Amino acid sequence: MKRQKSGMMRMERNWGLLFALPAILGLMIFTIGPITASFVFSLTDWTIGGQMTFIGLDNYRTILTEDSTFSQSMFVTTYYALGSVPLGLAAAFIIALLLNQKVKGLSVFRTVYYLPTIVPSIANTMLWLWMFNPDFGLLNSLLESVGLPGSKWIYDESTAIPSLIMMSTWGIGNTVIIFLAGLQSVPTHLYEAAEVDGGNRWHKFFHITIPSMTPTIFFNLVMSLISTFQAFNQAYVMTKGGPNNSTLFYVFYLWRTAFTETKIGYASALAWILFFVIMVLTVLIFSTSKKWVHYEGGERS
Amino acid sequence: MLKRRLRTWMALVMTAILTGLTACSGNAGEPVNPNAVELKFMYWGSNDEKQAMEKMIQSFNASHPDIRVKGEHVPGDYTTKINTLMAANQLPDIAYLGDSLTMKWASEGRLLDLSSYYDEYPELKNKLKSSYLYSEPGKSIGNYTAMEVMQLFYNKELFTEAGVSVPPADPKKAWTWDEFLAIAKKLTKDQNGKHPGDSGFDPKNIAQYGFAFGNDRSSWGPLLASNGGALTDKTGKKYTLNSPESVEVFQKLQDLVFKEHVSPDLIQQQDMPSNTIRLQTRKVAMVVDGTWSLLDFSNNKQLQWSIGVLPKLKEPKTMIVAGATVIFQSTKHPKEALEFYLYHNNPEKVDLFKSGLWMPIEEKYYTDEQAIQSWTNNAAHPPEFQEAGIEYARDYAIKPSTSTLRNWPDIGSKLTPGLDLIWTNKKTPQQALDELEPIIQPLLQGVYPDE
Repeated sequence: MKRQKSGMMRMERNWGLLFALPAILGLMIFTIGPITASFVFSLTDWTIGGQMTFIGLDNYRTILTEDSTFSQSMFVTTYYALGSVPLGLAAAFIIALLLNQKVKGLSVFRTVYYLPTIVPSIANTMLWLWMFNPDFGLLNSLLESVGLPGSKWIYDESTAIPSLIMMSTWGIGNTVIIFLAGLQSVPTHLYEAAEVDGGNRWHKFFHITIPSMTPTIFFNLVMSLISTFQAFNQAYVMTKGGPNNSTLFYVFYLWRTAFTETKIGYASALAWILFFVIMVLTVLIFSTSKKWVHYEGGERS
Repeated sequence: MLKRRLRTWMALVMTAILTGLTACSGNAGEPVNPNAVELKFMYWGSNDEKQAMEKMIQSFNASHPDIRVKGEHVPGDYTTKINTLMAANQLPDIAYLGDSLTMKWASEGRLLDLSSYYDEYPELKNKLKSSYLYSEPGKSIGNYTAMEVMQLFYNKELFTEAGVSVPPADPKKAWTWDEFLAIAKKLTKDQNGKHPGDSGFDPKNIAQYGFAFGNDRSSWGPLLASNGGALTDKTGKKYTLNSPESVEVFQKLQDLVFKEHVSPDLIQQQDMPSNTIRLQTRKVAMVVDGTWSLLDFSNNKQLQWSIGVLPKLKEPKTMIVAGATVIFQSTKHPKEALEFYLYHNNPEKVDLFKSGLWMPIEEKYYTDEQAIQSWTNNAAHPPEFQEAGIEYARDYAIKPSTSTLRNWPDIGSKLTPGLDLIWTNKKTPQQALDELEPIIQPLLQGVYPDE
């Protein structure tokens, strides 16, 4: 009896492994493999088509001490992140609050705000390219019609990144949905308790809604920080990193180094530096989170 | 029991997958010679070009039963694609390739040295001298796919209306810069019909520009050569873009936009339509463009257009702007690939020459009257083409630095942002080009041989 059971269990385990195998193999071959390879490449001077020589940490040294394009692209990306992350979170939070009200045609509004997320990112970018047109674009036409001077938007060094930050709020549909889910799971008994104690709207908002939402805010903050540091399409489709490198996003620089300048080794080192930067930022946010993120049911274990 | 049922299921699934796979690998249509050597040919280009290529590949396959070429058209980011294939060692046998990458890979020994086949295929030797690409002295990996040079395209009607003479087609009679500028001014009008220099001319509301040019090497390259300027000295090791001759060219171009107001700036151009439409809609009277545009221009039936030579600064000069076709060293069938190579740019076999997209690279098509007629006597080639196309390309064309300078991919990506400062009027050319010196100078690694 006992032996038979363990035989059954072994068989089940084997089948389980077999069915999990595609996922495991996929992870090994398509994720862990390339990651390891890129680390090895980052220690070489490999250019596509050329010979590969092991040069130790030279690429990293060059990037950190000599490469002014690296610092420019890091600056551009940080500038963009500092603008678009807080703006995006605030806008998404406000929209989620509005969408959480009981008004007529609510589902229409919810759809409208989520729609841009479904549209392929390249199509969005093309659309904005047209809106930003200084001569006959939508934005300048609007400004002109109310008597304001137009702007050169993405075609001028000084306004390029602010324009792209503005554009980034277009794609916050996902964040809105997550906030909305968070808002709807705020326990109603807390609001009721506040009402019993004579709390008004603002009390409820600041003492119940915001604290209950901090885990959601935290999650969205981390996710949007990671994704803004990987911004690429804007530079690839709209600006090619110009004018004068003012929109040279880090990932675009990385891509250009690898596939235009063919320096795979150097680009791999750039990729690892980006990984490291994002990791450090994420760890930092996590370490501050204990102070401001509240989980229902008391202390975070 | 359970085990058996599972086994049956697995067997069924496997059978289904295998049947699916075999079904995919079958080839419908043309009869296949099972012993034919299969070659992969990768290329870029518009839809028109794709159709012409497919036609050419079909006729090649039909006339060469032992070879089967499979074409792969890559419409998007070609360089990224071929770089990836190179990195993964999955290159096609034969492919289009941008000239700077061609030179880089040639010098790294990745491309077939065609000069070692000269005895076997003497046709490889009869091309225009300027079309050969040498990785080392005497070692040529081949030629540009087609000769393409920069020319001046214009809308004839606008010249008639303004009562000015059209751009000369004879390179020896090329306009001087002042003649060119005077005419560009007459062809530029604001919304009230006033020209630059008239009192009350409104540079903010220009309805028609005299001239439009792009910000890449194909616009400033020919003028730079015409003025005796260059990116580097002859050895390719010293930066000279801030020499007086070079600065003058960029100054003149910057002035066209911001001082003379005869050309739109780059932001305005971003959203202007293609050159044919710019001319047709009377937005612009003259544009600088490459020979390949003859295809688009001749497809536009509403526009009365023709071509002339570019204005000169010191000597008339134009520049070749063309990609190459290369055979990769990794091919298992170099001879068959060579057969196809010789076929694919032969004007007797491919109609891309008659349609205007390509100019031949074989010398006789520039010197032998009958051969010239065979590809130019048609609607895509206006009478002016004899001088502004054939003579210009044959006697006045120089190779671009993308073909001659080592390390171009690196240099190019540093050069563009620096020049942006000129095109956006943030800096004077002297300042911008001086500031580029410490950036470009360390990247210079010399030139490729020219024969």
